[in-house]
Amino acid sequence: MSYYRYFPLWKTLLEGSGAEVVLSRRTGKSLLENGVRHCVDDICVPVKLYYGHVLDLKDRVDSLFVSRVVSVEKADCDTYTCPKLIGLPDMIKSSLEGLPPMIEFVVDIQNMSLKTSAKKLAKDLGARAGTARKILSRSLDVQARYEAELLRGLTPEQAMEKVFEGGNGEHEGAAVGERNVNIALVGHEYLIHDPFISHNLPRKLKSLGANPILMSEVPQEVLEKELCRYPEISWSYEKELLGAASYFLGRDDIDGVMLIIGFACGPDSIIGEIINREVRTPLSPPLTTLVLDEHTGEAGVATRIEAFVDLIRHARERQ
Amino acid sequence: MKVSFPHMGNAYIPLSALLSNLGAEVIVPPRPTSKTIDAGALHAPEFVCLPFKVNLGDNLRALQMGADTLAMVSGMWACRFGYYGRVQHRILRDAGFEFESILLGREGVGAVYNKFRDTVDGNLTLSWLRAFRAFKRKAEAMDAIEKSAREKRPYERDRGSTSAAMDEGLRLVHEARGLKEADRALDGARELLDGVELEDVMEPPLKVAVLGEIYAVLEPSLNFDIERRLGEMGIMPFPVMSVYKWLFRPLKTDPSILIEERRARRTARPYIAYVLGGEEHQTISGTINAARNGYDGVIHLYPFTCMPENICRAILPRLESDFNIPILNLCLDEHASPTGMTTRLEAFVDLMLQRRRSRSKG
Repeated sequence: MSYYRYFPLWKTLLEGSGAEVVLSRRTGKSLLENGVRHCVDDICVPVKLYYGHVLDLKDRVDSLFVSRVVSVEKADCDTYTCPKLIGLPDMIKSSLEGLPPMIEFVVDIQNMSLKTSAKKLAKDLGARAGTARKILSRSLDVQARYEAELLRGLTPEQAMEKVFEGGNGEHEGAAVGERNVNIALVGHEYLIHDPFISHNLPRKLKSLGANPILMSEVPQEVLEKELCRYPEISWSYEKELLGAASYFLGRDDIDGVMLIIGFACGPDSIIGEIINREVRTPLSPPLTTLVLDEHTGEAGVATRIEAFVDLIRHARERQ
Repeated sequence: MKVSFPHMGNAYIPLSALLSNLGAEVIVPPRPTSKTIDAGALHAPEFVCLPFKVNLGDNLRALQMGADTLAMVSGMWACRFGYYGRVQHRILRDAGFEFESILLGREGVGAVYNKFRDTVDGNLTLSWLRAFRAFKRKAEAMDAIEKSAREKRPYERDRGSTSAAMDEGLRLVHEARGLKEADRALDGARELLDGVELEDVMEPPLKVAVLGEIYAVLEPSLNFDIERRLGEMGIMPFPVMSVYKWLFRPLKTDPSILIEERRARRTARPYIAYVLGGEEHQTISGTINAARNGYDGVIHLYPFTCMPENICRAILPRLESDFNIPILNLCLDEHASPTGMTTRLEAFVDLMLQRRRSRSKG
């Protein structure tokens, strides 16, 4: 679930500790179906996907790396990620059979430092604990480089290619153009960038002549400034959604905002409502909500995107 | 000031005592029905959890009955419940209602304390103390009545007589004014419950632990009054939580509740290593304890899309095989029907009876 966000960090950490990294295959129909079959019925799609990926990997690896992301911010008040991210390793452990040994990496910034987690990881992998610190700092460097690339407007895949292979990551000018329709995508990266579950949403928008703007392009400071305007939220990732939505909805060079949420996502059901009711004003650009799940048909997504882009174009012509 | 709040089991009894002692007029909406839930679901986000929709429905009814202030707890937790008040009140304002909000937890204790400055004659601190004393006394009375009814129900001669006595007793306590009258009401309720005719049962009744998401367990309108249903099927239900514990846990006045919490966390740790913000530790430790104490089964109740309980739902099958105890998972939403519930309960009861028989043979 945290692939698009932290993979560079995980990869450098693991390889630094002397492990070989094997990735699960890209999401596909059979992978997802497998996940759905082994998972609780009414949990959100991303967890079902995660199950699918774990099942895909389990016979090909010696041990399984599972992250447990508990808190990612140091703040005065309690902040969390989603409960499902916190309980993910527990769920996997209890409901899947025949798993290879699990390596758990805990990110809980509020209560323990990353160094402790990195040391534990090094120990699990049989590397010397003394090297853990060096590996961690190198990994954080790579992660920072990755995030910087994201800020420049690259998609996670382009950015990873650039960071790891030194490629130039062919970057078609995402400059905000006059004639282009700029559509901001607000939603969890594991939904938007998973080509299967989102039916290649960013690319679809491009093929319609629209210019997708990603949430990862918004710098942290801007998000924080936006967030000051609303009462506190305790979910770190959803806070980003709220901040990004508020930023995009307050700009006039953005023509439309798409809110992408997964079916049965707990925090998003609340944040979606807050965005709709507290953030949106009569002056802000149009906002549409796209709910994705394992049954969403490609045609349905395509129709809605086309309609949204057409609507924006139409409105502009009439002005 | 006309204050109202959403239902949570019989919590309205002590809460009304608290607020009326603070000089506020309390508007208690009728117990939630399917109509309440439908009205709430109409205005609520599509896949928010069911308690949100029920609470919203309650609030709607209360506003239609003339409430001008809505009270709700809220906070910064990993669970969605912390945002209920904020989003619900916004939805209601958007729907055209005008009212004041009391968001306990978000506004800080001081702000809530001072809200009642105008409604109270005389000393505010004294009124709060008096109100709290009435609150505690009535909460204890409510808990005692619920408990004794729970223990009597499987043995009653006439089906429904215990529940009738309990409802009457609770009404007495609710209507009592002042501490003395509340005590008298509790005695009256005890008498009523003692008057229920019992019959001898050949076998000891099946023992079932009822646990899961707290609202689903404690709000009878949501779980089709599972406690009564089980009792009248001749089964002894043991809810792991109670409204009393729910009310007093955050107040931290009762050390036994805090110790129990800590113990539950410790028991659940091998299965859930971190706090998820809901009742997950109660669910896991409740199941383990039920198996250790020789219960016949566990019923796990949770609302559709509930986050912490869905995680438990993934872990419970493991407990089922580790501890050899049958678990019935019941997912509740606005489309759940009482018939479906009865069918599943009956099947589960048959399963437990069969297990008991084969055990006593072997």
